Amino acid sequence: MTCGAPLDVRDKVSDSGWREAPRLKDMTEFRFSASTCQVEGELVPVAEITLSPQDAVYFEHHLLLWKDESVPLSSLKTAGGMKRTIGGMPHIVTVANGPGRIAFSRDSPGELVVLPLHPGMELDVREHAFLLASHSIQYSFVRIKGLANMLHGGSGMFMDRFITAQYPGLLMLHGNGNVLERTLRPGEKILVEPGGFLYKDSTVNMQAVQMPLKTGFVKHSMYLAEMTGPGRVGIQSMYVHHGAGE
Amino acid sequence: MNTYVCRYCRQPSDPSQPTCPLCGAPVDIRDNVSDSGWVQQPPVRDMARIQFGQSHCQIAGTTVPIAEFNLAQQEMVYFSHHVLLWADPATRMQNMSMRGGWKRMMAGMPLIMVEAHGPGHIALSDNHAGEVIALPLQHGQSIWVKEHRFLTATGNIRYDWNSNDIWYVTGDDNDQETHYPMGQFGDVFTAAERPGLLLLHAPGNVFIRDLKQGESLLVQPTSLVYRDISVRVHLHLEYPRNMGFAFWSNRHDYRNILVRLIGPGRVAVQSVFERPEDMEMIRNHSYATRHRW
Repeated sequence: MTCGAPLDVRDKVSDSGWREAPRLKDMTEFRFSASTCQVEGELVPVAEITLSPQDAVYFEHHLLLWKDESVPLSSLKTAGGMKRTIGGMPHIVTVANGPGRIAFSRDSPGELVVLPLHPGMELDVREHAFLLASHSIQYSFVRIKGLANMLHGGSGMFMDRFITAQYPGLLMLHGNGNVLERTLRPGEKILVEPGGFLYKDSTVNMQAVQMPLKTGFVKHSMYLAEMTGPGRVGIQSMYVHHGAGE
Repeated sequence: MNTYVCRYCRQPSDPSQPTCPLCGAPVDIRDNVSDSGWVQQPPVRDMARIQFGQSHCQIAGTTVPIAEFNLAQQEMVYFSHHVLLWADPATRMQNMSMRGGWKRMMAGMPLIMVEAHGPGHIALSDNHAGEVIALPLQHGQSIWVKEHRFLTATGNIRYDWNSNDIWYVTGDDNDQETHYPMGQFGDVFTAAERPGLLLLHAPGNVFIRDLKQGESLLVQPTSLVYRDISVRVHLHLEYPRNMGFAFWSNRHDYRNILVRLIGPGRVAVQSVFERPEDMEMIRNHSYATRHRW
């Protein structure tokens, strides 16, 4: 399995250690299982999947841009439907089976992040950021622990969790703006604007912390997401600002 | 004799220029074609010039491009008033007479069209990251454009608008609502007496495909940008196979409301589209096909 990243470019790493996700070249094609994915466009990229008969992908149903008439659709059973609905997450996830072609895109300028998952990996993704996943990846959700996260954290009550058991799989996300990634060492912490959080390894602990800001006697509530390593953290440069906890 | 035809605007053009003088598309690039046959509309290069009549248009910027016009004497363009970015004081502007104002207002279409007459400079832009698409129209050629994609057209292009006849009704007997997933009306532009230039703006990236006679494709209704008049379109409702839901799940939540495009002709889609709004049961609808997997 490949991820389509160009091999003829140098790593772009900022002085503080954030590495830019490689921007996929237009019409880049890569394989997963017996199927292929082609990325088209660079402003709001489209992922066009050519599914082989034994493969399937699942996605939030409103992301479908176009499809061959012959591609069958079914719904994926998701646990915790009521909780997901209350949390604003899609409780309907659609499955497209091969053979045939189907294409997906989200609705804002940004980048597609291709994350091939090896067996035994767990990845948490902010809600409404996942574009599609191959059928070998298990899909669930996690509640962000702590009341503060719910009320002030800004990244919602739930995150999507993607788990690979014994087979590898392909996960594609859409990040708004540019996407950067950093690997935290065990115990290393970083504060992230909750709206900018995109994904993290499940080994990274995330919780909301309040910043002690005051103007004279007026106290301002500003909450950030504190990430504690070890593991990868991905952020996006364009987001809804969640700074005020009024 | 010049036999070069631009791959994007389909008009006889000049291959010696870096960009097509009629639509601004780069000449010196290879087609970006996906495996399924979609051709990516190449973004108009920054500062590319497009000639029409005695006037020209220059496209500035690449993320939210601006169309800057240098209008010659006795030439004019028209546009919806909200896309005006700046204008020379010398450029004469006036209202364009429009029929069906009430219907246009009720359908959410722009009510006021402005004419800008040369000589003078004027610049227009939409407010989405996306692409400007230049479509030179030959004498007698017509094209259908989805509402709100129109940026501007030269004065010799006739502007009309027709009902799309793509709709469905939800709600109960007392509170019914009619939905128009592709918009209630579509714009139709025709080069009436002589060739003209039509400029559109589409959010995201744009892809073009030529459908053969009888070839069909299912697309999101709001992703359509334009299509040849020869391409037929109707509603298509698709229901995924239910793999088992909890009791609160609504069986309409996961349906797909698509449109089927049937060739022959050219169609263009954009990679940004609106999410479907409504998940209630459909009581009535325009002609549609259904598929339950």
